[in-house]
Amino acid sequence: MKHFLPVLFVLAAGLVSAADLKPIDESGYSRFVSSAKGKVLVVNFWATWCAPCRKEMPELVALAAKYRAKGLEFATVAIDEESDRRTVAEFLDKIKAPPPAFIKNFKNDEKFISLVDSRWSGGLPFTVVYDRAGRKAHVFPGEVNVQELEAVLRKLL
Amino acid sequence: MTTIAAFAAALMLLGAPGKVESIKATDLDGKPVEIQTAGKITTVIFISTQCPISNDYNERMKSLYSEFSQRGVQFVFLNPNSTESSAEAAEHARKHGFPFRVLKDVNNVEADRFEAQFTPHVFVIGKNSEVVYHGAIDDSRPADKVTKTYLKDVLNAALEDKPLPVTETKAFGCTIKRVKKST
Repeated sequence: MKHFLPVLFVLAAGLVSAADLKPIDESGYSRFVSSAKGKVLVVNFWATWCAPCRKEMPELVALAAKYRAKGLEFATVAIDEESDRRTVAEFLDKIKAPPPAFIKNFKNDEKFISLVDSRWSGGLPFTVVYDRAGRKAHVFPGEVNVQELEAVLRKLL
Repeated sequence: MTTIAAFAAALMLLGAPGKVESIKATDLDGKPVEIQTAGKITTVIFISTQCPISNDYNERMKSLYSEFSQRGVQFVFLNPNSTESSAEAAEHARKHGFPFRVLKDVNNVEADRFEAQFTPHVFVIGKNSEVVYHGAIDDSRPADKVTKTYLKDVLNAALEDKPLPVTETKAFGCTIKRVKKST
């Protein structure tokens, strides 16, 4: 029975396992953004093959933890193939990324990129901030400047 | 003036650098190279040694080069990443048996001018030196799932003086690692 306690603690901390990684498509993304209304939402698009993405993510996770109680939701969308699901989950688990975490299941990459932001070329990483009304408030093409993101979040939260 | 400024801004957003009469880079021995575009169809591809997406296109880039260079298309392969040295690019080209030469875009000068964002990012320049297409090589990183061969279709149309089937596409790729510039 004693062994269950650490397990329960990890589950309560809300880490991502391979089973928690949800496939997301174009309509699923729009629904998700809409469902987060009332919170400030940060969505980070990344991939296990993207070194700058892996480098910046721990800082984003720390920022997410810092502002969660104030109404920040942090979500990740992995631009990896379904066959890389385990690698994606292992990385998210290692850096203690919170759910929700998604893996791409787009019907058309190009349409998805344009749906997220017309200015996005497709280069990773890419981060979008939505305000509490679900409106796009800021985008970060490439690596996030964490101080700049924090300043954006302070204004919105 | 406002209209012209707005149009110029729109072009910037679209990543179109306007007329590209020549491309300046250095070969992997550090010698300067200047390639003229007038009167030729030129394909510029920004590539990387380390980006897995770029590397997944190595064989497709070799095939495209073999097919279209024989038909008169000029190819320019540029490595713009500040994190990848000329020596690394040379070793990468040798290891993958590239039949084309790779040039170094030192300080990502051409990447900035083209507003190239990721690797592999393609720009096709027409005979009048205007950029006529920019975006992806095709629509799928896994070669066996390709349904749209954008670059191939654009080059075929351009060679036959037909309307281009597409002028801009988007795809996932690795962001170009630019040099940090002091402000």
